[in-house]
Amino acid sequence: MMSRLVILSANSLKGSGPFGAGLVHASRSLHTSSQSRAPVPPLPETGGKVRHGIFPEEIFQLLYPKTGVTGPYMLGTGLITYLLSKELYVINNETLSAICIFSVIIYGVKKFGPSVAAFADKLNEEKLAKAQEVKDLAMSGLTQAIENEKKEQWRVEGRAMLFDAKRNNVAMLLETNYRERLHMVTNEIKRRLDYQIALQHLNRRLEQEHMINWVEKSVIGSITPQQEKESIAKCIADLKMLAKNTQAKATV
Amino acid sequence: MTMNLFNQFLSPTFLGLPLIAIALMAPCLLYPSPAPWWQSNRWTTLQNWFIGSFIKQILSPINTKGHSWALLLATLMVFLITLNTLGLLPYTFTPTTQLSLNMAFAVPLWLAIVIMGFRNSPTHALGHLLPEGTPTPLVPILIIIESISLLIRPLALGVRLTANLTAGHLLIQLVSSAAFSLLLSQTTAASLAVSLLLLLTILEIAVAMIQAYVFVLLLSLYLQENV
Repeated sequence: MMSRLVILSANSLKGSGPFGAGLVHASRSLHTSSQSRAPVPPLPETGGKVRHGIFPEEIFQLLYPKTGVTGPYMLGTGLITYLLSKELYVINNETLSAICIFSVIIYGVKKFGPSVAAFADKLNEEKLAKAQEVKDLAMSGLTQAIENEKKEQWRVEGRAMLFDAKRNNVAMLLETNYRERLHMVTNEIKRRLDYQIALQHLNRRLEQEHMINWVEKSVIGSITPQQEKESIAKCIADLKMLAKNTQAKATV
Repeated sequence: MTMNLFNQFLSPTFLGLPLIAIALMAPCLLYPSPAPWWQSNRWTTLQNWFIGSFIKQILSPINTKGHSWALLLATLMVFLITLNTLGLLPYTFTPTTQLSLNMAFAVPLWLAIVIMGFRNSPTHALGHLLPEGTPTPLVPILIIIESISLLIRPLALGVRLTANLTAGHLLIQLVSSAAFSLLLSQTTAASLAVSLLLLLTILEIAVAMIQAYVFVLLLSLYLQENV
Protein backbone atom coordinates (compact mmCIF):
# COMPACT_ATOMS: atom_id res chain seq x y z
CA MET A 1 0.00 0.00 0.00
CA MET A 2 2.59 2.48 0.97
CA SER A 3 5.05 0.81 -1.32
CA ARG A 4 5.81 4.00 -3.18
CA LEU A 5 6.47 5.85 0.06
CA VAL A 6 8.62 2.97 1.24
CA ILE A 7 10.47 2.98 -2.06
CA LEU A 8 11.16 6.65 -1.94
CA SER A 9 12.11 6.55 1.73
CA ALA A 10 14.39 3.61 1.10
CA ASN A 11 15.95 5.28 -1.90
CA SER A 12 16.60 8.51 -0.13
CA LEU A 13 18.00 6.71 2.90
CA LYS A 14 20.13 4.46 0.70
CA GLY A 15 22.88 6.93 0.36
CA SER A 16 22.92 8.12 3.95
CA GLY A 17 25.55 6.25 5.84
CA PRO A 18 24.83 3.76 8.59
CA PHE A 19 21.05 3.84 8.27
CA GLY A 20 20.91 2.81 4.67
CA ALA A 21 22.99 -0.33 4.61
CA GLY A 22 20.16 -2.78 4.78
CA LEU A 23 17.73 -0.90 2.61
CA VAL A 24 19.38 -1.20 -0.79
CA HIS A 25 17.72 -4.47 -1.72
CA ALA A 26 14.18 -3.27 -1.20
CA SER A 27 14.09 -0.98 -4.20
CA ARG A 28 15.40 -3.42 -6.79
CA SER A 29 12.94 -6.17 -5.98
CA LEU A 30 9.91 -4.46 -7.47
CA HIS A 31 11.10 -4.50 -11.10
CA THR A 32 9.53 -1.16 -11.90
CA SER A 33 12.05 -0.29 -14.63
CA SER A 34 13.28 -2.19 -17.64
CA GLN A 35 16.56 -2.88 -15.86
CA SER A 36 18.78 -1.65 -18.64
CA ARG A 37 21.10 1.17 -17.77
CA ALA A 38 22.77 1.99 -21.10
CA PRO A 39 22.42 3.81 -23.37
CA VAL A 40 20.42 6.26 -21.28
CA PRO A 41 18.27 8.49 -23.51
CA PRO A 42 18.91 12.22 -23.08
CA LEU A 43 16.64 13.78 -20.48
CA PRO A 44 14.77 17.08 -20.86
CA GLU A 45 16.42 19.93 -18.97
CA THR A 46 13.21 21.49 -17.63
CA GLY A 47 9.74 20.18 -16.96
CA GLY A 48 6.74 20.68 -19.20
CA LYS A 49 5.75 24.29 -19.72
CA VAL A 50 2.63 25.40 -17.84
CA ARG A 51 0.60 28.57 -17.85
CA HIS A 52 -0.74 29.96 -14.58
CA GLY A 53 0.93 27.17 -12.70
CA ILE A 54 -1.40 24.30 -13.59
CA PHE A 55 -2.61 24.43 -17.18
CA PRO A 56 -0.21 22.75 -19.63
CA GLU A 57 0.90 24.78 -22.59
CA GLU A 58 -0.26 21.96 -24.91
CA ILE A 59 -3.94 22.86 -24.38
CA PHE A 60 -3.29 26.41 -25.56
CA GLN A 61 -1.39 25.11 -28.58
CA LEU A 62 -4.18 22.65 -29.28
CA LEU A 63 -6.90 25.30 -29.31
CA TYR A 64 -4.88 28.01 -31.03
CA PRO A 65 -5.70 27.09 -34.68
CA LYS A 66 -9.45 27.10 -34.08
CA THR A 67 -9.98 29.76 -31.45
CA GLY A 68 -6.84 31.86 -31.36
CA VAL A 69 -5.19 33.25 -28.25
CA THR A 70 -8.31 33.82 -26.11
CA GLY A 71 -9.79 30.38 -26.84
CA PRO A 72 -8.77 28.50 -23.70
CA TYR A 73 -9.69 31.46 -21.50
CA MET A 74 -13.16 31.58 -23.01
CA LEU A 75 -13.42 27.85 -22.48
CA GLY A 76 -12.47 28.23 -18.85
CA THR A 77 -14.82 31.12 -18.22
CA GLY A 78 -17.69 29.33 -19.95
CA LEU A 79 -17.08 26.16 -18.01
CA ILE A 80 -17.09 27.99 -14.68
CA THR A 81 -20.20 29.95 -15.56
CA TYR A 82 -21.96 26.76 -16.64
CA LEU A 83 -21.08 24.96 -13.43
CA LEU A 84 -22.20 27.89 -11.28
CA SER A 85 -25.40 28.72 -13.10
CA LYS A 86 -26.63 25.17 -13.25
CA GLU A 87 -25.62 24.73 -9.62
CA LEU A 88 -23.53 21.74 -10.55
CA TYR A 89 -21.04 23.34 -8.23
CA VAL A 90 -22.81 24.88 -5.25
CA ILE A 91 -21.18 27.84 -3.56
CA ASN A 92 -21.18 27.08 0.13
CA ASN A 93 -18.89 27.51 3.14
CA GLU A 94 -16.34 25.15 1.64
CA THR A 95 -15.86 27.59 -1.22
CA LEU A 96 -14.72 30.22 1.24
CA SER A 97 -12.29 27.84 2.92
CA ALA A 98 -11.14 26.77 -0.57
CA ILE A 99 -10.47 30.40 -1.47
CA CYS A 100 -8.50 30.82 1.75
CA ILE A 101 -6.38 27.71 1.41
CA PHE A 102 -5.64 28.31 -2.27
CA SER A 103 -4.65 31.91 -1.66
CA VAL A 104 -2.30 30.74 1.11
CA ILE A 105 -0.83 28.06 -1.14
CA ILE A 106 -0.37 30.44 -4.08
CA TYR A 107 1.19 33.05 -1.83
CA GLY A 108 3.57 30.46 -0.40
CA VAL A 109 4.58 29.16 -3.82
CA LYS A 110 5.10 32.64 -5.25
CA LYS A 111 7.10 33.84 -2.30
CA PHE A 112 9.21 30.77 -1.46
CA GLY A 113 9.19 29.00 -4.82
CA PRO A 114 12.36 30.50 -6.32
CA SER A 115 14.39 30.11 -3.13
CA VAL A 116 13.34 26.48 -2.72
CA ALA A 117 14.15 25.81 -6.37
CA ALA A 118 17.54 27.48 -5.90
CA PHE A 119 18.13 25.32 -2.83
CA ALA A 120 17.30 22.14 -4.75
CA ASP A 121 19.59 23.28 -7.56
CA LYS A 122 22.31 23.99 -5.02
CA LEU A 123 22.00 20.46 -3.63
CA ASN A 124 22.33 19.05 -7.13
CA GLU A 125 25.24 21.36 -7.89
CA GLU A 126 27.07 20.23 -4.77
CA LYS A 127 26.61 16.61 -5.77
CA LEU A 128 27.89 17.39 -9.26
CA ALA A 129 30.78 19.44 -7.88
CA LYS A 130 31.90 16.55 -5.68
CA ALA A 131 32.02 14.20 -8.62
CA GLN A 132 33.69 16.85 -10.75
CA GLU A 133 36.29 17.37 -8.04
CA VAL A 134 37.05 13.67 -7.97
CA LYS A 135 37.41 13.68 -11.74
CA ASP A 136 39.60 16.81 -11.68
CA LEU A 137 41.81 15.40 -8.96
CA ALA A 138 42.21 12.18 -10.89
CA MET A 139 43.09 14.07 -14.05
CA SER A 140 45.56 16.36 -12.35
CA GLY A 141 47.10 13.35 -10.63
CA LEU A 142 47.50 11.63 -13.97
CA THR A 143 49.03 14.71 -15.69
CA GLN A 144 51.40 15.03 -12.74
CA ALA A 145 52.33 11.37 -13.18
CA ILE A 146 53.00 12.01 -16.89
CA GLU A 147 55.25 14.95 -16.07
CA ASN A 148 57.10 12.92 -13.48
CA GLU A 149 57.60 10.14 -16.00
CA LYS A 150 58.98 12.58 -18.59
CA LYS A 151 61.34 13.99 -15.98
CA GLU A 152 62.52 10.51 -15.12
CA GLN A 153 63.18 9.83 -18.80
CA TRP A 154 65.23 13.02 -19.07
CA ARG A 155 67.08 11.97 -15.96
CA VAL A 156 67.89 8.64 -17.55
CA GLU A 157 69.50 10.45 -20.51
CA GLY A 158 71.65 12.42 -18.18
CA ARG A 159 72.69 9.31 -16.33
CA ALA A 160 75.37 8.43 -18.93
CA MET A 161 76.90 11.87 -18.46
CA LEU A 162 76.80 11.34 -14.75
CA PHE A 163 78.60 8.04 -15.04
CA ASP A 164 81.25 9.60 -17.31
CA ALA A 165 81.84 12.38 -14.85
CA LYS A 166 82.09 9.89 -12.05
CA ARG A 167 84.46 7.76 -14.02
CA ASN A 168 86.61 10.82 -14.76
CA ASN A 169 86.58 11.71 -11.12
CA VAL A 170 87.75 8.29 -10.13
CA ALA A 171 90.48 8.28 -12.78
CA MET A 172 91.69 11.66 -11.57
CA LEU A 173 91.78 10.43 -8.02
CA LEU A 174 93.75 7.39 -9.02
CA GLU A 175 96.19 9.50 -11.06
CA THR A 176 96.65 11.90 -8.17
CA ASN A 177 97.23 9.06 -5.81
CA TYR A 178 99.79 7.49 -8.13
CA ARG A 179 101.63 10.78 -8.55
CA GLU A 180 101.68 11.28 -4.85
CA ARG A 181 103.15 7.90 -4.23
CA LEU A 182 105.70 8.41 -6.99
CA HIS A 183 106.69 11.71 -5.47
CA MET A 184 106.97 10.12 -2.05
CA VAL A 185 109.11 7.32 -3.40
CA THR A 186 111.39 9.80 -5.19
CA ASN A 187 111.76 11.80 -2.04
CA GLU A 188 112.62 8.79 0.03
CA ILE A 189 115.21 7.57 -2.43
CA LYS A 190 116.76 11.05 -2.65
CA ARG A 191 116.90 11.19 1.11
CA ARG A 192 118.72 7.91 1.29
CA LEU A 193 121.14 8.85 -1.50
CA ASP A 194 121.80 12.22 0.17
CA TYR A 195 122.59 10.37 3.30
CA GLN A 196 125.09 8.22 1.50
CA ILE A 197 126.67 11.28 -0.13
CA ALA A 198 126.89 13.07 3.18
CA LEU A 199 128.46 9.97 4.64
CA GLN A 200 131.09 9.85 1.90
CA HIS A 201 131.83 13.56 2.25
CA LEU A 202 132.26 13.08 5.89
CA ASN A 203 134.56 10.15 5.31
CA ARG A 204 136.71 12.12 2.82
CA ARG A 205 136.93 15.13 5.11
CA LEU A 206 137.95 12.97 8.02
CA GLU A 207 140.60 11.28 5.91
CA GLN A 208 141.82 14.65 4.65
CA GLU A 209 142.08 16.12 8.09
CA HIS A 210 143.69 13.08 9.42
CA MET A 211 146.24 13.16 6.58
CA ILE A 212 146.93 16.86 7.08
CA ASN A 213 147.36 16.39 10.75
CA TRP A 214 149.69 13.48 10.13
CA VAL A 215 151.70 15.44 7.55
CA GLU A 216 151.89 18.47 9.86
CA LYS A 217 152.90 16.38 12.77
CA SER A 218 155.56 14.59 10.76
CA VAL A 219 156.84 17.88 9.30
CA ILE A 220 156.88 19.57 12.66
CA GLY A 221 158.53 16.50 14.08
CA SER A 222 161.13 16.50 11.37
CA ILE A 223 162.21 20.06 12.03
CA THR A 224 165.41 19.65 14.14
CA PRO A 225 166.40 22.35 16.55
CA GLN A 226 169.42 23.24 14.37
CA GLN A 227 167.17 23.92 11.40
CA GLU A 228 164.87 25.89 13.63
CA LYS A 229 167.67 28.19 14.76
CA GLU A 230 168.90 28.66 11.18
CA SER A 231 165.42 29.50 9.91
CA ILE A 232 164.78 31.96 12.74
CA ALA A 233 168.17 33.66 12.03
CA LYS A 234 167.32 33.84 8.36
CA CYS A 235 163.96 35.31 9.12
CA ILE A 236 165.52 37.99 11.31
CA ALA A 237 168.06 38.84 8.61
CA ASP A 238 165.25 39.08 6.03
CA LEU A 239 163.27 41.25 8.31
CA LYS A 240 166.18 43.61 8.90
CA MET A 241 166.75 43.90 5.18
CA LEU A 242 163.14 44.59 4.61
CA ALA A 243 163.13 47.19 7.28
CA LYS A 244 166.13 48.86 5.70
CA ASN A 245 164.45 48.82 2.28
CA THR A 246 161.30 50.35 3.56
CA GLN A 247 163.17 52.94 5.53
CA ALA A 248 165.07 53.80 2.40
CA LYS A 249 161.89 54.00 0.36
CA ALA A 250 160.24 56.13 2.99
CA THR A 251 163.02 58.73 3.08
CA VAL A 252 163.15 58.90 -0.72
CA MET B 1 -26.44 22.08 11.42
CA THR B 2 -24.49 19.73 13.70
CA MET B 3 -25.13 16.83 11.33
CA ASN B 4 -23.70 18.88 8.49
CA LEU B 5 -20.56 19.74 10.37
CA PHE B 6 -19.63 16.14 11.09
CA ASN B 7 -20.49 14.88 7.63
CA GLN B 8 -16.95 15.65 6.50
CA PHE B 9 -15.62 12.96 8.85
CA LEU B 10 -17.79 10.16 7.49
CA SER B 11 -15.85 7.43 5.76
CA PRO B 12 -16.33 8.22 2.05
CA THR B 13 -18.49 5.94 -0.01
CA PHE B 14 -19.71 6.14 -3.57
CA LEU B 15 -22.85 4.26 -4.48
CA GLY B 16 -22.27 2.05 -1.52
CA LEU B 17 -18.64 1.30 -2.38
CA PRO B 18 -16.16 2.32 0.28
CA LEU B 19 -13.59 4.71 -1.03
CA ILE B 20 -11.38 4.65 2.04
CA ALA B 21 -8.83 2.46 0.28
CA ILE B 22 -8.40 5.05 -2.48
CA ALA B 23 -8.28 7.82 0.11
CA LEU B 24 -5.40 6.05 1.82
CA MET B 25 -3.46 4.96 -1.27
CA ALA B 26 -3.93 7.94 -3.56
CA PRO B 27 -1.70 10.47 -1.73
CA CYS B 28 1.34 8.27 -2.32
CA LEU B 29 0.93 8.80 -6.07
CA LEU B 30 1.89 12.43 -5.62
CA TYR B 31 5.50 11.56 -4.85
CA PRO B 32 7.97 11.07 -7.71
CA SER B 33 9.57 7.68 -7.63
CA PRO B 34 13.35 7.78 -7.59
CA ALA B 35 14.86 7.68 -11.05
CA PRO B 36 17.59 5.31 -12.11
CA TRP B 37 19.83 8.14 -13.21
CA TRP B 38 22.39 9.76 -11.02
CA GLN B 39 21.23 13.36 -10.74
CA SER B 40 17.52 13.65 -10.03
CA ASN B 41 15.13 16.50 -10.69
CA ARG B 42 14.24 19.15 -8.11
CA TRP B 43 11.31 17.28 -6.59
CA THR B 44 13.27 14.12 -5.98
CA THR B 45 16.28 16.03 -4.68
CA LEU B 46 14.09 17.97 -2.26
CA GLN B 47 12.28 14.91 -0.98
CA ASN B 48 15.55 13.03 -0.61
CA TRP B 49 17.01 15.92 1.31
CA PHE B 50 13.91 16.20 3.49
CA ILE B 51 13.76 12.52 4.38
CA GLY B 52 17.52 12.33 4.89
CA SER B 53 17.73 15.30 7.23
CA PHE B 54 14.58 14.27 9.10
CA ILE B 55 15.89 10.77 9.76
CA LYS B 56 19.34 12.07 10.72
CA GLN B 57 17.76 14.37 13.25
CA ILE B 58 15.30 11.92 14.69
CA LEU B 59 17.63 8.93 14.96
CA SER B 60 20.60 10.83 16.40
CA PRO B 61 19.73 10.19 20.07
CA ILE B 62 18.98 6.51 19.43
CA ASN B 63 21.74 3.93 19.58
CA THR B 64 22.70 1.82 16.58
CA LYS B 65 20.36 -1.03 17.33
CA GLY B 66 17.37 1.25 16.98
CA HIS B 67 18.46 2.48 13.55
CA SER B 68 16.64 -0.44 11.94
CA TRP B 69 13.47 1.57 12.66
CA ALA B 70 14.60 4.29 10.24
CA LEU B 71 12.51 3.11 7.31
CA LEU B 72 9.38 2.71 9.40
CA LEU B 73 9.66 6.13 10.99
CA ALA B 74 10.43 7.85 7.70
CA THR B 75 7.50 6.21 5.95
CA LEU B 76 5.17 7.01 8.82
CA MET B 77 6.24 10.62 8.85
CA VAL B 78 5.81 11.11 5.11
CA PHE B 79 2.44 9.33 5.17
CA LEU B 80 1.05 11.33 8.06
CA ILE B 81 2.26 14.66 6.78
CA THR B 82 0.80 13.97 3.34
CA LEU B 83 -2.57 12.90 4.68
CA ASN B 84 -2.74 15.85 7.04
CA THR B 85 -1.82 18.52 4.52
CA LEU B 86 -3.93 17.08 1.71
CA GLY B 87 -6.93 17.08 4.04
CA LEU B 88 -6.78 20.86 4.17
CA LEU B 89 -7.84 21.14 0.55
CA PRO B 90 -11.56 21.65 0.05
CA TYR B 91 -13.89 18.67 -0.31
CA THR B 92 -11.19 16.19 0.72
CA PHE B 93 -11.38 13.47 3.28
CA THR B 94 -8.67 13.28 5.92
CA PRO B 95 -8.14 9.70 7.02
CA THR B 96 -6.19 10.81 10.08
CA THR B 97 -9.35 12.30 11.57
CA GLN B 98 -10.54 8.74 12.10
CA LEU B 99 -9.61 7.43 15.53
CA SER B 100 -9.46 3.91 14.12
CA LEU B 101 -6.59 4.77 11.78
CA ASN B 102 -4.59 6.61 14.41
CA MET B 103 -5.05 3.91 17.02
CA ALA B 104 -4.11 1.35 14.37
CA PHE B 105 -0.82 3.20 14.01
CA ALA B 106 -0.23 3.99 17.67
CA VAL B 107 -1.08 0.74 19.46
CA PRO B 108 0.95 -1.78 17.41
CA LEU B 109 4.01 0.45 17.23
CA TRP B 110 3.93 1.34 20.92
CA LEU B 111 3.26 -2.27 21.91
CA ALA B 112 6.10 -3.50 19.72
CA ILE B 113 8.48 -1.02 21.32
CA VAL B 114 7.39 -1.95 24.87
CA ILE B 115 7.57 -5.70 24.25
CA MET B 116 10.99 -5.26 22.61
CA GLY B 117 12.16 -3.29 25.64
CA PHE B 118 10.87 -5.87 28.11
CA ARG B 119 12.32 -8.74 26.12
CA ASN B 120 15.81 -7.36 25.54
CA SER B 121 16.50 -5.73 28.91
CA PRO B 122 13.59 -6.25 31.33
CA THR B 123 15.30 -4.66 34.34
CA HIS B 124 16.11 -1.55 32.35
CA ALA B 125 12.55 -1.35 31.02
CA LEU B 126 11.09 -1.84 34.48
CA GLY B 127 13.48 0.77 35.82
CA HIS B 128 11.71 3.37 33.72
CA LEU B 129 8.70 2.98 35.97
CA LEU B 130 10.50 4.73 38.82
CA PRO B 131 12.30 8.01 38.20
CA GLU B 132 15.66 8.52 39.90
CA GLY B 133 15.83 10.29 43.20
CA THR B 134 12.26 9.87 44.40
CA PRO B 135 11.77 9.97 48.17
CA THR B 136 11.00 6.51 49.64
CA PRO B 137 7.39 7.10 50.85
CA LEU B 138 6.34 8.13 47.36
CA VAL B 139 7.75 5.01 45.65
CA PRO B 140 4.61 2.77 45.57
CA ILE B 141 2.33 5.56 44.38
CA LEU B 142 4.85 6.68 41.79
CA ILE B 143 5.21 3.19 40.33
CA ILE B 144 1.46 2.98 39.84
CA ILE B 145 1.36 6.45 38.30
CA GLU B 146 4.25 5.68 35.96
CA SER B 147 2.71 2.39 34.80
CA ILE B 148 -0.59 4.15 34.14
CA SER B 149 1.28 6.76 32.11
CA LEU B 150 3.02 3.97 30.23
CA LEU B 151 -0.26 2.25 29.40
CA ILE B 152 -1.96 5.47 28.38
CA ARG B 153 0.72 6.32 25.80
CA PRO B 154 -0.92 4.64 22.77
CA LEU B 155 -4.24 6.21 23.65
CA ALA B 156 -2.58 9.58 23.96
CA LEU B 157 -0.76 9.20 20.66
CA GLY B 158 -3.85 8.24 18.72
CA VAL B 159 -6.24 10.63 20.37
CA ARG B 160 -3.83 13.55 20.12
CA LEU B 161 -3.58 13.25 16.37
CA THR B 162 -7.30 12.61 15.92
CA ALA B 163 -8.38 15.43 18.20
CA ASN B 164 -6.03 18.01 16.71
CA LEU B 165 -7.05 17.34 13.18
CA THR B 166 -10.73 16.93 13.88
CA ALA B 167 -10.82 20.12 15.89
CA GLY B 168 -8.99 21.99 13.17
CA HIS B 169 -11.30 20.81 10.44
CA LEU B 170 -14.37 21.53 12.53
CA LEU B 171 -13.16 25.05 13.25
CA ILE B 172 -12.54 25.68 9.58
CA GLN B 173 -16.05 24.47 8.78
CA LEU B 174 -17.59 26.58 11.52
CA VAL B 175 -15.79 29.78 10.72
CA SER B 176 -16.29 29.41 6.98
CA SER B 177 -19.99 28.71 7.37
CA ALA B 178 -20.28 31.69 9.70
CA ALA B 179 -18.49 33.89 7.20
CA PHE B 180 -20.61 32.53 4.35
CA SER B 181 -23.89 33.13 6.06
CA LEU B 182 -22.84 36.66 7.03
CA LEU B 183 -21.40 37.42 3.60
CA LEU B 184 -24.42 39.12 2.07
CA SER B 185 -26.08 40.76 5.08
CA GLN B 186 -23.27 41.97 7.35
CA THR B 187 -20.22 42.25 5.10
CA THR B 188 -17.84 43.75 7.67
CA ALA B 189 -18.45 40.93 10.13
CA ALA B 190 -18.01 38.55 7.24
CA SER B 191 -14.68 40.14 6.35
CA LEU B 192 -13.57 39.73 9.98
CA ALA B 193 -14.59 36.10 9.80
CA VAL B 194 -12.72 35.69 6.51
CA SER B 195 -9.56 37.14 8.02
CA LEU B 196 -10.01 34.76 10.94
CA LEU B 197 -10.41 31.96 8.44
CA LEU B 198 -7.15 32.94 6.73
CA LEU B 199 -5.25 32.88 10.01
CA LEU B 200 -6.93 29.63 10.92
CA THR B 201 -5.88 28.10 7.61
CA ILE B 202 -2.27 29.05 8.22
CA LEU B 203 -2.52 27.59 11.72
CA GLU B 204 -4.03 24.40 10.39
CA ILE B 205 -1.24 23.93 7.87
CA ALA B 206 1.25 24.30 10.70
CA VAL B 207 -0.73 21.99 12.99
CA ALA B 208 -0.99 19.34 10.28
CA MET B 209 2.77 19.20 9.87
CA ILE B 210 3.57 19.53 13.55
CA GLN B 211 1.15 16.80 14.62
CA ALA B 212 2.66 14.33 12.17
CA TYR B 213 6.12 15.25 13.43
CA VAL B 214 5.06 14.94 17.08
CA PHE B 215 3.59 11.49 16.48
CA VAL B 216 6.81 10.20 14.98
CA LEU B 217 8.96 12.07 17.51
CA LEU B 218 7.16 10.52 20.47
CA LEU B 219 7.50 7.07 18.94
CA SER B 220 11.21 7.68 18.51
CA LEU B 221 11.40 8.79 22.16
CA TYR B 222 9.71 5.60 23.33
CA LEU B 223 12.10 3.70 21.09
CA GLN B 224 15.08 5.47 22.61
CA GLU B 225 13.99 4.41 26.08
CA ASN B 226 13.47 0.80 25.18
CA VAL B 227 16.13 -0.17 22.67
